[in-house]
Amino acid sequence: MQGRLFAWLVKHGLVHRSLGFDYQGIETLQIKPKDWHSTAVILYVYGYNYLRSQCAYDVAPGGLLASVYYLTRIEYGVDQPEEVCIKVFAPRRNPRIPFVFWIWKSADFQERESYDMLGICYEAHPRLKRILMPETWIGWPLRKDYIAPNFYEIQDTH
Amino acid sequence: MAASSSYMASTKFSMLGWLGKGNKFSKSNSNSSPSTISAQQQAQVQEQEDMKAQEAAAPGQEKAKQPEGTRLRPVEPQVNVKSKNMSREYGGQWLSSATRHVRIYAAYIDPVTCEFDQSQMDKLTLILDPTNEFVWTSETCNKVYACFQELVDHYEGAPLTEYTLRLIGSDVEHYIRKLLYDGEIKYNMNARVLNFSMGKPRIMFNNNNLDGEVPDAQ
Repeated sequence: MQGRLFAWLVKHGLVHRSLGFDYQGIETLQIKPKDWHSTAVILYVYGYNYLRSQCAYDVAPGGLLASVYYLTRIEYGVDQPEEVCIKVFAPRRNPRIPFVFWIWKSADFQERESYDMLGICYEAHPRLKRILMPETWIGWPLRKDYIAPNFYEIQDTH
Repeated sequence: MAASSSYMASTKFSMLGWLGKGNKFSKSNSNSSPSTISAQQQAQVQEQEDMKAQEAAAPGQEKAKQPEGTRLRPVEPQVNVKSKNMSREYGGQWLSSATRHVRIYAAYIDPVTCEFDQSQMDKLTLILDPTNEFVWTSETCNKVYACFQELVDHYEGAPLTEYTLRLIGSDVEHYIRKLLYDGEIKYNMNARVLNFSMGKPRIMFNNNNLDGEVPDAQ
């Protein structure tokens, strides 16, 4: 199934792939990392002025890393705002995704968290450093192939 | 009861990753020459064994290298050590890893006066069991120090961060648990807090009577 946004993007010649609709009826599109910057600007101009949420997940061990953006349009007097979900897949070895902080300001801390947990490097980030783990942590904790070192636990369970 | 003990090892950690401003100074490992236990130090050890440990950084006994050539390489004791680099503008440089039995600080802590010299970041100080959960003798202490020294040598070249110190501390704690399960140290029943943090005592708790000495019920 493809929705209006997909048709509109095809009309404007942007490379993407539709991933169907999720259970809430939000259209999901997949964009390549190298096209993401221009597509983000185009979506902002189209009217999606609010990045509702940005998250990231690990698709499979040895697979890709996904960075997910939920965009919506905030305007007055609208009961059901338009929403779209964009997924950008990055290779595991060198995950670099263009940074959209310059377009939607709420991406700042959220992308730092994606960097901290999964190691996705966002280009052109002013302060890309760890936000949840201690700064000297080694490793990306939420990757599926992450093994935590055998730290001492405070108390043995009886 | 052995008081809490401390051990200082000098380390070859690379500091390149630590100070982000490119302040590269490589420290040279001061391998202290072997020193035997002097009589005065032995007396100091004896009288400090009667002390109870109080709060953090309780003074410990000076540790010296055994004449048999174990792997202990303690740092020479220094005189006139003053607390340095403890104020706020050095905040963030207090590298430490502290768990219940093992506290490792990247500083030189004078064992007698407890002056905390942060500027000597090439040394690691280990404070062992300040709350006296276990009963320590000097041999068991020295075993832990030897393990610590081995670990410090093993981690040579690693960046000097709290993550690394935490890994070292965890390995020392696992070694202490191994000593406990082998029966070489015991829980201290007069401890202020008795919660058996490394496992409750069990029958056959110490593996050295595995040859069926537990009598059968008649």
